[in-house]
Amino acid sequence: MYIIGENIHIISEKVKEALKNKDREFFMDLAVKQVEAGAKAIDINLGPRKKDWAEVFPWIVETVEAVVDVPLSIDTTNVDGMEAALQKITKSQPILNSTSAEPERLEKIPLLAKKYNAKVIALTMRSEGIPVEADARVTIAVEQLIPRMMEIDLPMENLIIDPLVLTVSGCQQYCPHLIETVRTLQYAWDPAPSISVGLSNVSNAVPNENRPLVNRVYLAMLMGVGLQMMIANPFDEEQNQVIQWIETKDVSTPLAKVYNKIAERTENSEEPQMEDFDMSDPQQAEIWKTTQILLNKVIYADSYLMN
Amino acid sequence: MPIEIPKDKWAGSIKAITIGATSAEGGTRAKAVTVGGGTTMPYLQFEAPTPNKPVIAIEIKSRKPEDWSPLLAEVWGEAMADSAQWAKKAEEAGADLIVLALTVEDNPEDAVKAVKSVLGATGLPLIVWGPGQAEKDNELLVPISEATKGERLVLGICEDKNYRTIVATAMANGHLVQARAPMDVNLSKQLNILISDMGMPKDRILMDPTTGALGYGMEYGYSVMERLRLAALQGDAMTQFPMIVTPGFEAWKTKEAKVGEGVPQAWGDWKARAINWETLTAIALIESGADVVVLRHPESVKRIKEAIEELITA
Repeated sequence: MYIIGENIHIISEKVKEALKNKDREFFMDLAVKQVEAGAKAIDINLGPRKKDWAEVFPWIVETVEAVVDVPLSIDTTNVDGMEAALQKITKSQPILNSTSAEPERLEKIPLLAKKYNAKVIALTMRSEGIPVEADARVTIAVEQLIPRMMEIDLPMENLIIDPLVLTVSGCQQYCPHLIETVRTLQYAWDPAPSISVGLSNVSNAVPNENRPLVNRVYLAMLMGVGLQMMIANPFDEEQNQVIQWIETKDVSTPLAKVYNKIAERTENSEEPQMEDFDMSDPQQAEIWKTTQILLNKVIYADSYLMN
Repeated sequence: MPIEIPKDKWAGSIKAITIGATSAEGGTRAKAVTVGGGTTMPYLQFEAPTPNKPVIAIEIKSRKPEDWSPLLAEVWGEAMADSAQWAKKAEEAGADLIVLALTVEDNPEDAVKAVKSVLGATGLPLIVWGPGQAEKDNELLVPISEATKGERLVLGICEDKNYRTIVATAMANGHLVQARAPMDVNLSKQLNILISDMGMPKDRILMDPTTGALGYGMEYGYSVMERLRLAALQGDAMTQFPMIVTPGFEAWKTKEAKVGEGVPQAWGDWKARAINWETLTAIALIESGADVVVLRHPESVKRIKEAIEELITA
């Protein structure tokens, strides 16, 4: 699993504070720790920085590249800021996060990727919004995103499609569709583009104590259909454990077996069955309930584990 | 060629819930009303008969409402100033249940008196709503609950910000609760889980998915109700409660029903329009699975009663 570490994100109060103080140590430390925890790239989301982009984007690139060699994912809606960051990058091939099928972004961002030999994440989203159905999202990739890259001669290996994970709390019906989108996108073109998702979006607005569980179960399903890249928190040890179990097909413990079974069922286009779980084990019972929520079989509620 | 009509067989069903208690059951009601119990999507009689038809509650207030449409004042007349009189007229108009809505001006003593006088004036089961401010609701509903122990009233309205006190007093005194969430299946279910988790028996919860009037989000409420019903039939125990909806309150808030002047002439006769608004809102909600509809105008009650008969016998 190629994890793009998500922790340098302006939504975090600590990051906000550190940015205000131009605290180089903080960002260096956070970058190094993510790489040590297994992140293969580092996402940098400091917002659009409308006023100080010319200063902030080069500064953060220089700061982070001083301590790590991995690719940086420049995560902003500010195209000028993106270019300012690209000009400063000296180490690995960067990632632009992101374009979509919205005309203005699809016009500009891939050209930047081309000019600076960057990879580009492209969201299956149009100006009208995000379609629910898997087919419609694949269609956006095949009819708009991929053709645009071909039009400007951007190599397919530089395209990463993000089919957009949405939260189970409020957009529950999208969750099973996303799984099918990830499955289908791998066969949508030859050579296949890479696919990446923002995993923790699935548990947005879910109470904090349940978020890691929701993320892990969804991850097992997505790995079942072949997901190999995601923007995620590399410090989540239980998540990393699940990745390892599924990647090595390790079934040596009851939990390892259960997560592998979820991946296997999803791979075979089957639904997890109650008999796959030892319901007398509270952890397994919680995982079962979480599969039912994510597959839109049972209506989500914050206290769904009590149901 | 004979055509076989496909039939769904569901794993779950809506709970049958009884509102009001007769003297044999520890209350004073002339008869109790049972709602819910459905085992199919609404009114698919070829799949299974509808065990309990939807019922109509008429909303009255503890004090004469100054902000209600003049059309309602005209039809209820002087009775609006006296909740006992009003309840009696509501029963004559065909109500199966009475909703007594308290106001912020009521003190606990007034409120208990109003409830008692309504219970004395009619034999119908009673739903009591607080004025809708958390502190005031609790201040009024607790003494009412205690003073009417065993009557199986419905107390409301429980919302996520304020449900504990109402649920606790309803549990202690043998009443039911109305659980309202803002047109959202996830939040509806969540509130039901929280209320059940307090120990409230599952045959004493009515869920209120929140209603939008015709032209003001009714279709959104409709699909929320449809989704809750589907989940219930699929076996989700936390969505299997009968639904109470408030088309009277919602419809009479709309400009189309409330206002007779300064509107386009093409809108036609005011009274006809207002009653149509309430009736159309109510019947749509009944068709999406409402078990209790709370109405305001007697003419709407009459029409909805006829519509229900047609649905049941169709």
